[in-house]
Amino acid sequence: MLKGVHQKLEPQESPAFFVRGPSPFSRMMFFCALSIVLMAVDSRLNYLAQFRQTFIAALHPLELIAQAPSDWGMNIRHYFTAHGRLLDENQALKQEAVQHKVLLQRLQTIELENAHLRTLLQGNVPIIPKAILGEILHMGRDPFSNVIVVNRGTHHDVKAGQAVVDAEGVIGQVTRAFPFSAEVTLITDDNLAIPIQVERNQLRAIAFGEGKSNTIDLPFLPTSVDIKVGDRLVTSGIDGVYPAGLAVATVTEVRQSPDSPFAKIVSTPIAGVNNHLQLLILSLPEPQQSAMPTEATQVTAETAKVAPTTSPSPTAKPSIENKPNASR
Amino acid sequence: MRPVNLTTVLLTLIVALTFQLYPWSGQGVILRPDFLLVVTLYWVIRAPHLINVGIAWFAGLIVDLSTGSLLGQHALAFGFAAFLALLYQRRLVLFNRWQLTVYVFALLISERAIVLMLKLFADNENPGLSYFWPVITTLILWQLMVLMFGAPTRPRH
Repeated sequence: MLKGVHQKLEPQESPAFFVRGPSPFSRMMFFCALSIVLMAVDSRLNYLAQFRQTFIAALHPLELIAQAPSDWGMNIRHYFTAHGRLLDENQALKQEAVQHKVLLQRLQTIELENAHLRTLLQGNVPIIPKAILGEILHMGRDPFSNVIVVNRGTHHDVKAGQAVVDAEGVIGQVTRAFPFSAEVTLITDDNLAIPIQVERNQLRAIAFGEGKSNTIDLPFLPTSVDIKVGDRLVTSGIDGVYPAGLAVATVTEVRQSPDSPFAKIVSTPIAGVNNHLQLLILSLPEPQQSAMPTEATQVTAETAKVAPTTSPSPTAKPSIENKPNASR
Repeated sequence: MRPVNLTTVLLTLIVALTFQLYPWSGQGVILRPDFLLVVTLYWVIRAPHLINVGIAWFAGLIVDLSTGSLLGQHALAFGFAAFLALLYQRRLVLFNRWQLTVYVFALLISERAIVLMLKLFADNENPGLSYFWPVITTLILWQLMVLMFGAPTRPRH
């Protein structure tokens, strides 16, 4: 076993069995110190973002190799899917599309009317954000955090801070963007907060994820608050990240404990946070578009311009490296 | 026990990394073994002149990068597990197969415990005792390594 080392040594020196360089203990102490320094630098300073991005990009081919078997398996399964089932599905989808088209026609006229009314009142016309279709690669390799990894990255114009939705509602927010993939923190993660509004009475609040239990919490609301079981929570749109009106969660439990001034309100996310493959990554609204030259709207335009950057936004900071730092 | 060369070691480490990157989904994710850890520990015990604390630490750093966790968490745990393996390495090669398995079990538990501790310090949520389940699958993987590359213990005559 130690033959190779033995040959390199001078014959006079001590036998290879005893020559092993620095002792394991000193090596261990050195590398412990190194990793503690790294942890401190990584958590407090932002120097390592570029390093991480480069490394993840370098790892991409290896990742593709690792995914190949499951992709093949999926392809084979798709190949053998019953023809009849596909036909049925196709039929159902077509029907759904027609129904949606009818609804959309109405929506378009209403939207035009709404925009017209808003220009009459010199308000801001709501912008419909552009979206990128992404697919979930995997559920994250770290059992400590609620993240998913999607197959769109900075090469496809995905930036950290963008909102991610599926057909039913909000899924989460991009927290790290790598060249070919991006990390999406789910709304159930306890580091992510999202400004919401109760659909029934327009009451505004901030929702926090609860981590493992897959629920969302509305803390710091008084016991007398007008929220009932079954209320739908939608995004309020005041943060400049999530467009207004996207479904977030339904309230499942409202509890009042006598020793707390706050009600305990538990809700479950509407979007299929854990069971969809496709999702949409919405682009961040551009603040310049809302700035209007007219004098009357100067004030509102300016607040709109400032809002996404300087307001104490409760959602995750759209920096590339930071995990969402919401302070409770 | 045949002597090993660095190429074999590095190749197995790269293969282990590829397995580490395999996208797991569903309930099985709770049992995902630490491919890179078990291969690293195997070579640390078998060939300490090639793989030492430094390379184990570096392997941990790669795990940190691929999981997106704080840099240095897994690195510290890998380095410490390699240190524990090296500490009694000369005695370990005299153990029989099952004694060695028990020791490896302790090493794997220590690695998980350190990562858990560091994660909790860094304000992550506690995943509960199920976090230690992968140790069992990793131990099965260890037996596979022994089958493929031979026991790192000295043959008895």
